[in-house]
Amino acid sequence: MGEGDRAEPLERLLNLVGLLLETPQPLTFEQIRRVLEPYGQSNPDSAKRMFERDKDVLREYGVPLELVDIDVWGTEQGYVIPKDKYYLPEIEFEPGELVALLVAAQSGGQDHAAESGARKLLYGADGGVLAGLGGGPLASGSDARSNLVHAAAEAAQELRRVRFIYRTSQGKTSERDVDAWAMVFRAGHWYLVGHDRERDDVRAFRLSRIVGEIADAGTGSSPPADFRAAHHVEAGPWVAAGDDRALVRFSPGRAWFAASQFPGAREIDTDDEGWIGMEIPMADEDAFAAMLLEYGPDAVVRSPASLRDAVVSRLEALLA
Amino acid sequence: MPERKRGVPKTSDRLGRMLAIVPYLVQHPGSALEEVATAFGVPPSQLRRDLDLLFMSGLPPYGPGDLIDVDVDEDGHIWISMADHFSRPLQLTRIEALAVFLRGTELLATPGMPDAPALGKALEKLRGSLGAEMLSEADGRIEIARGGQAPEHLDALREAARTHERLSIEYFAASTGEWSSREIEPEEVFSGMGHWYVASWDVDADAERLFRVDRVRSAVPTGETFTPRGLRGAGRDLYSPTGEDVAVRLRLRPAARWIAEYYATTDVEEQDDGGVELTLPARQLGWVARLLLRVGDDAEIVEPPELRDQVQDLARETLARYGHKA
Repeated sequence: MGEGDRAEPLERLLNLVGLLLETPQPLTFEQIRRVLEPYGQSNPDSAKRMFERDKDVLREYGVPLELVDIDVWGTEQGYVIPKDKYYLPEIEFEPGELVALLVAAQSGGQDHAAESGARKLLYGADGGVLAGLGGGPLASGSDARSNLVHAAAEAAQELRRVRFIYRTSQGKTSERDVDAWAMVFRAGHWYLVGHDRERDDVRAFRLSRIVGEIADAGTGSSPPADFRAAHHVEAGPWVAAGDDRALVRFSPGRAWFAASQFPGAREIDTDDEGWIGMEIPMADEDAFAAMLLEYGPDAVVRSPASLRDAVVSRLEALLA
Repeated sequence: MPERKRGVPKTSDRLGRMLAIVPYLVQHPGSALEEVATAFGVPPSQLRRDLDLLFMSGLPPYGPGDLIDVDVDEDGHIWISMADHFSRPLQLTRIEALAVFLRGTELLATPGMPDAPALGKALEKLRGSLGAEMLSEADGRIEIARGGQAPEHLDALREAARTHERLSIEYFAASTGEWSSREIEPEEVFSGMGHWYVASWDVDADAERLFRVDRVRSAVPTGETFTPRGLRGAGRDLYSPTGEDVAVRLRLRPAARWIAEYYATTDVEEQDDGGVELTLPARQLGWVARLLLRVGDDAEIVEPPELRDQVQDLARETLARYGHKA
């Protein structure tokens, strides 16, 4: 459709929104037909069909187009767009806040809903805001599909019961039946936390491990008062710092990297060849031994002996 | 979001856009067309076409005095009147409100994000204003598990990217396990999958490179400036394959599945035991050998065969540190 096409549906839709927003009382389709030319065409059936389609388009965009009783007796109904439901409430944003919101909405790959939402907020911005939008997006976002993130967040917000296919980190695939309680974002991943009905326990599900879509299965349940969602999200054995301490020597080239990789690592000494001894808190000895092996000959365990043995026996198994 | 109705997607997109743009224009008389087009993600030519149509709409009885008046002056400034009924935008849909909130939360969760306080306040206001229906419970329902801290040289890199300043850095390449000193021209700093990256021009390699900010040990300005090449930041693949990559084919037992989530892999085939077979493209085999030392029995090397020897050699060398002969 080119410029100047007289049958532009956009024009018709804008007029319809304006008409129903400003009308002092609800209008019947007949009344709309008399005022808005495109619906006034001679064939009432096709005019009605066009009107129905337009209504759908408007509602899809969140326009609160309602059919209400015109009089108290309810004999006749008419269409109206209530202003209090249509208009965005006044929100006083500082310019910097708006920029931050818009940048956030544009970060993390395609998310049409986030972008269109943030753009609606721009109208109240101070003049200079648009000029401040020069910078690009700041993040690549999570590894989960955005429609899945929205669906999970809606479920958690409304405390819905949901079903989905989940593949665990160990590769086991099964259907889960979960009362959604909360969403947690950790280190680039979104998690849905809730009550797993079959296992009768609180579980966290990484959204990127959900196969297919999340299906709504009705009303869910409320979490207990002391529920803290973040506590249920796996930190990984290498992140959780336990009470045990390991002493490990690292080669000069790798020591800096090791110090940045292991939270709570403390430098103790340096030997003649520049190897650096470090004290590192560890939670799970076996997982820690595996991690150290990624350093190959650049890491040597001093203590405890059990950790040393774990490293040695893993290596021997590899060579067997 | 509901499926778009067939046949009218373009109209509904344009409608949604106009219901957001017109209020902005009413509130900001004389806005520059180019600027508005950029902010609302629409090509300037399309915005012009949309504005042309606005002329035709208005309120009953649709006489000349009832129609919206739009004027784009010679300098590309937009003036609009008779559009009071569109002086405020349409309310956000539930999904839009939620999506903005979720995206904001993602950014807040990343240590070292600039403007985090402003973003936090903005989300607060959003929740306060959109009220009970939309984001009421978002408080306890959408959480951030904070972890880690911002890398030491994040600010220095960001500043250099902003001022186009060439830096001399010491960088740890995980692929070779080696430190190198390089001169880089940093262009875009962004976070992805829980890490900060800087898309740069590597002066020594004369090529584009992506560096992980937490692996930069020092960053010193060289005093030289550069002209940005327009390197892509957020949204790019975190691993860009080169022609020299070796396709490492691995069969992983369930316990080693995390490799599939952690690295950029291709040709992933699910196995009956819950494991997975996949291809891991690698420029260097050294780091793959170390990775395989870590996962041990839980990975089987399909290709290339020489990688097996490399892993065995590495195991022998490591064992020797413990005074064991193998």
